[in-house]
Amino acid sequence: MKIFSLLEITKGLQRTLAEQYPQSVWIRAEMNKLNFYPQSGHCYPELLEKQEGKIVAQMKANLWNDDYQRINTSFLAILHEPLKNGINILFQAKVTFDPVYGLSLRILDIDPSYSLGNLEQERQKSIEKLKKMGIFEQNKNLEFPLLPKRIAVISVETSKGYADFQQVINQNPWKYRFCYHLFPSILQGEKLASSLIQQLKRIEQVKHHFDVVAIIRGGGGDIGLSGYNQFEIAEQIARFPLPVITGIGHATNETVVELVAFKNCITPTDLAGFLIQQFHNVAVPLQETWQKLAKVVDDRLSEEHQKQSEISSELKKNTLEQIARALQSLTFQVHQVKGYTRFLIRKHRELISSQFVLTKKKTRGFISTQWANIQIIENNIHLLDPKRILARGFSITLHNGQPLRSQSAVRRGDSLKTITFDGTIQSTVTNLQSDPTP
Amino acid sequence: MNETISYTEAFKELQSLVNDIESGEISVDQLSEKVKRAAQLIKICKDLLTSTETDVNQILKEIEEE
Repeated sequence: MKIFSLLEITKGLQRTLAEQYPQSVWIRAEMNKLNFYPQSGHCYPELLEKQEGKIVAQMKANLWNDDYQRINTSFLAILHEPLKNGINILFQAKVTFDPVYGLSLRILDIDPSYSLGNLEQERQKSIEKLKKMGIFEQNKNLEFPLLPKRIAVISVETSKGYADFQQVINQNPWKYRFCYHLFPSILQGEKLASSLIQQLKRIEQVKHHFDVVAIIRGGGGDIGLSGYNQFEIAEQIARFPLPVITGIGHATNETVVELVAFKNCITPTDLAGFLIQQFHNVAVPLQETWQKLAKVVDDRLSEEHQKQSEISSELKKNTLEQIARALQSLTFQVHQVKGYTRFLIRKHRELISSQFVLTKKKTRGFISTQWANIQIIENNIHLLDPKRILARGFSITLHNGQPLRSQSAVRRGDSLKTITFDGTIQSTVTNLQSDPTP
Repeated sequence: MNETISYTEAFKELQSLVNDIESGEISVDQLSEKVKRAAQLIKICKDLLTSTETDVNQILKEIEEE
């Protein structure tokens, strides 16, 4: 039995490996963990190979600082992804064995295009799976709320993207009021899926408080978007009961998450703009309708004004006509009255005049009648004057002081007194004789 | 003769005087008085008539002139 010293064995292994792999080799593996040490800048990637989900090979590698920097730069340029855990890589490595330090797999280079193709394959797989399940369009087919006022925001509180979003939403000049609530999540790297899905589940529990979900990621540029191709995240978003809007960055190809989301707005600013646009879609027609209404009302009012002014001018015209007619009629009446009055006055003047003539005549007649009456009486008195009668030769005989009218009252011997024109005679009755001719 | 008596009164008195005288029922003593009174009344009546006539003529003239 041959006994080897440890050095002999290790030297043998060293020699065998050097003979087997005299130059560097190209190896394909899944880089489970990168194991980057920031202090030294070196990485100690954990590599493995799976078959039907089972690990069939596993090995640690070294990636020294300089190599890492170079490779990472080329990854970022081509994949828009840094070197990270969980990607398939094709790498150039030198396998060595050192008697003291043991087996070493030193990574010299990693081919980014291999990883890119691999990522794209994964992306396509996710899409096909979602389509097969019939949920690829599910979120897109949701009815979008008329006014997306209440927004569940999945973002990083301190990120630039969230700040951009808030600025646009809060300072919109149209003063649309939005109500948003942040569900903080890690939006890149290893914990992307678990963190994002956890927040989605939280939102789902209070979904009646929200109109839409906005996934906002910003400040990271276009790096690290491949995580959004993960089937698990995409499935959650596709099935989500509220419309999901994404603003996660500029990908060369849209990520699966962006494809299944209701709407991909690329940047947080665009996302905020999209929400505001929804308000515009309602507000602008509303404003137009309002203006139309105002115009209709204005038109109607001015129409009524026109009508009213027509009516009032008509009324004015009619009134003026009426007044003119009334004036005319009044003038005519005045004329009539004047004429009639003149006529009456003339008639009455004539009447008075004739009355006057009559009065004059009657008065004169009356006066002359009076004169005649007086004349007659005067004549009578003249005739009755006893002196005149006595002068004509008549005399008055008194018996006992009384004028004597009858012979029968006298007795023989009675004394009689006779009055003549110029004196009296005293006599005594001696003879009585009755008048034979009475 | 400052007696104030209306024409109508004077005329009435005059008529009754004439009647009395005509009837002869007046004593001779009264007769002269009555006649005297009658003459007086005639004078009054004549004066009144004259003044009335003047007045009436004046009034009529005024009316005509209006």
